[in-house]
Amino acid sequence: MGTIEDDPPVKFALPVDSDHKATVFRLFSFDKPHMRAFHLSWISFFSCFVSTFAAPPLIPIIRDNLNLTSTDVGNAGIASVSGAVFARLAMGTACDLFGPRLASSSLILLTAPAVLFFSAASSAASFLTLRFLIGFSLATFVSTQFWMSSMFSPSVVGTANGVAGGWGNLGGGFTQLIMPLIYAVIRDAGAVSFTAWRIAFFIPALFQIMTAYMVFFFAQDMPDGDFKSLKKRGEKPKDSLPSVLRGAMTNYRAWILALTYGYCFGVELTVDNVIAQYFYDRFNVNLHTAGLIAASFGMANLFSRPGGGILSDVVSRKFGMRGRLWTLWSVQTIGGVLCVLLGKVGSLSASITVMIAFSIFCQAACGLTFGVVPFVSRRSLGVVSGMTGGGGNVGAVVTQLLFFHGSKYSSETGITLMGIMIICCTLPILLIYFPQWGGMLWAPSAKNATEEDYYLSEWSVKEQENGYHKASLKFADNSRSERGKNSARATAPAQGESPLPL
Amino acid sequence: MAPTLTASSSFLVAVVILSAFPGFSSGSVLFSTLPRTLVVSASPQPGQVLKAGEDKITVTWSLNGTAPAGTDASYKTVQLKLCYAPVSQVDRAWRKTKDDLAKDKTCTHLITSRPYAASNQSYEYLVQKDVPTATYFVRAYALDANKVQVGFGQTTDKAKDTNLFEVEAITGRHASLDIAASCFSAFSVLSLAGFFMAEKRRGKKGNPTTPAANM
Repeated sequence: MGTIEDDPPVKFALPVDSDHKATVFRLFSFDKPHMRAFHLSWISFFSCFVSTFAAPPLIPIIRDNLNLTSTDVGNAGIASVSGAVFARLAMGTACDLFGPRLASSSLILLTAPAVLFFSAASSAASFLTLRFLIGFSLATFVSTQFWMSSMFSPSVVGTANGVAGGWGNLGGGFTQLIMPLIYAVIRDAGAVSFTAWRIAFFIPALFQIMTAYMVFFFAQDMPDGDFKSLKKRGEKPKDSLPSVLRGAMTNYRAWILALTYGYCFGVELTVDNVIAQYFYDRFNVNLHTAGLIAASFGMANLFSRPGGGILSDVVSRKFGMRGRLWTLWSVQTIGGVLCVLLGKVGSLSASITVMIAFSIFCQAACGLTFGVVPFVSRRSLGVVSGMTGGGGNVGAVVTQLLFFHGSKYSSETGITLMGIMIICCTLPILLIYFPQWGGMLWAPSAKNATEEDYYLSEWSVKEQENGYHKASLKFADNSRSERGKNSARATAPAQGESPLPL
Repeated sequence: MAPTLTASSSFLVAVVILSAFPGFSSGSVLFSTLPRTLVVSASPQPGQVLKAGEDKITVTWSLNGTAPAGTDASYKTVQLKLCYAPVSQVDRAWRKTKDDLAKDKTCTHLITSRPYAASNQSYEYLVQKDVPTATYFVRAYALDANKVQVGFGQTTDKAKDTNLFEVEAITGRHASLDIAASCFSAFSVLSLAGFFMAEKRRGKKGNPTTPAANM
């Protein structure tokens, strides 16, 4: 039951492993299926971020047009990130069952109407509802990570996840620059300001629809084809929803990562919503400048999140999974310390410097998290990704409610308290333990646990008899690199250890 | 390439901040120190609702007759502004009243700016289309040759709760936008239906996109 059959030689543009996942990441290639899937997934995710955060830079106009109060604006900000909590979970499930291509293009097409109908918003209630609905589109994050984990081998999965996630998140910064520009062009062309912002929303909406078309027509779910045709050829058995859900929900590692992701990505979303007003209120910079600073926080994603993913893969080569966990914990904790500092510094230039350092560590921690997520479960990869992603949004909602709602704390006190919460909520990473690879504080199990033991435990004996577990078997073999180089168990199980039952 | 993006952003920010410093160093005027030397009146009745883009306000102003002679020696310009009444400032930090006039956001809509003359002046103002729905009063600032405020007058009292009028803003919505949004939304949802049907047909044909790998 433990053997891997030889695959007939299949022509791929990139070198692949036995799962046909690419073992290298070539950024400037568009070859199908791997790099093409990468580019289409990050661009479509980017468009969702642009749409979700298209309102914040135009708030000064919108709040006058719709007669909003500070409370209305704050509530809409919380609504924009709370929709995705459950949407991300649902998206994870949809990816496991239908494949990322259909799942993501469906969500994008279903949320585009919300972006379009911003042009018809007439009150605080409609504004909040629309921001809530558009926020669902952030669930495309999960399909991105699932897709990269399906296309790229364990040795480069951190990099692929990090770049795709980071470049998508870039949309949140890009939109702060582009929406005011589009608005100004339309207004200067003769439209009244209260109409110009409405017209401006058509641009992100149409871009979003275009990316859905591109994803549907030009990409595929897995290296060997789409879910539907793979199922037809008998290569991908239809999985059972209850088993997939149970597999993820009963895995404590998924819950820990959901919590800790809330304190890197959740914090990032919170900062996206509050940083412009923080600089505006505390240092009296004008709105344009505050927007520029806010944009640079989001734009750091160009290299910081990918950097985290790459770092995860680099560290794993020598230290395996233990290295990935240690690096994640350290980087996220340093981010927390910088956040505490951000709330304390008093001058504008120091504030900007600390903010940029904080953004780098915070976003790198996001990339590092998704260097660990692909290994938590193979069968329920989508749901685990969805739980982690959803946890990120829960962190954003909780943090905004605790520290940035109403006038209990000033912005700077809120930021310092947020930093303390980051440090505390990152500690649970110490508890993550893989029997075959170890954890931060414990070495791998003395009982010679293997990758196969871990991933096959997700399938019942009956399912294994039917051969449903074969993809997990391949993954287990490919993930042996997570043992690291210097470990005594770094080489394949056969060396001097008791042979595995076949 | 990537690191310089943020580096150049922060450099740009620093340049913008530094170039704004001259404004800080000139010393700001406190509203509480300004003498109320101008008499201002506006045409709207208390509680009247004006429509933005349609209705007009006629503002008249002059020097207060009881002011000592020579008060207006330094007055060069008069700025008339539309200001928010306290009821429209509640829970809206961007309209907050601050004593430091450089930071004060009470009066953000300029009606007009005129050279100062001691006699009765008036101006007819069409309420602009970007004026939001709110309750307002009118205030006039007298500026000296350095554009620094040296006196003021307003249509309401010190507590800003008498003689206020309202403006009803335009919605900014248009039927053509609503129709366009509906059409593109329908297109979006129908595309999705089309995708699912296409996928079903692809599934029936068992269309492989790469050569099948045998299990």
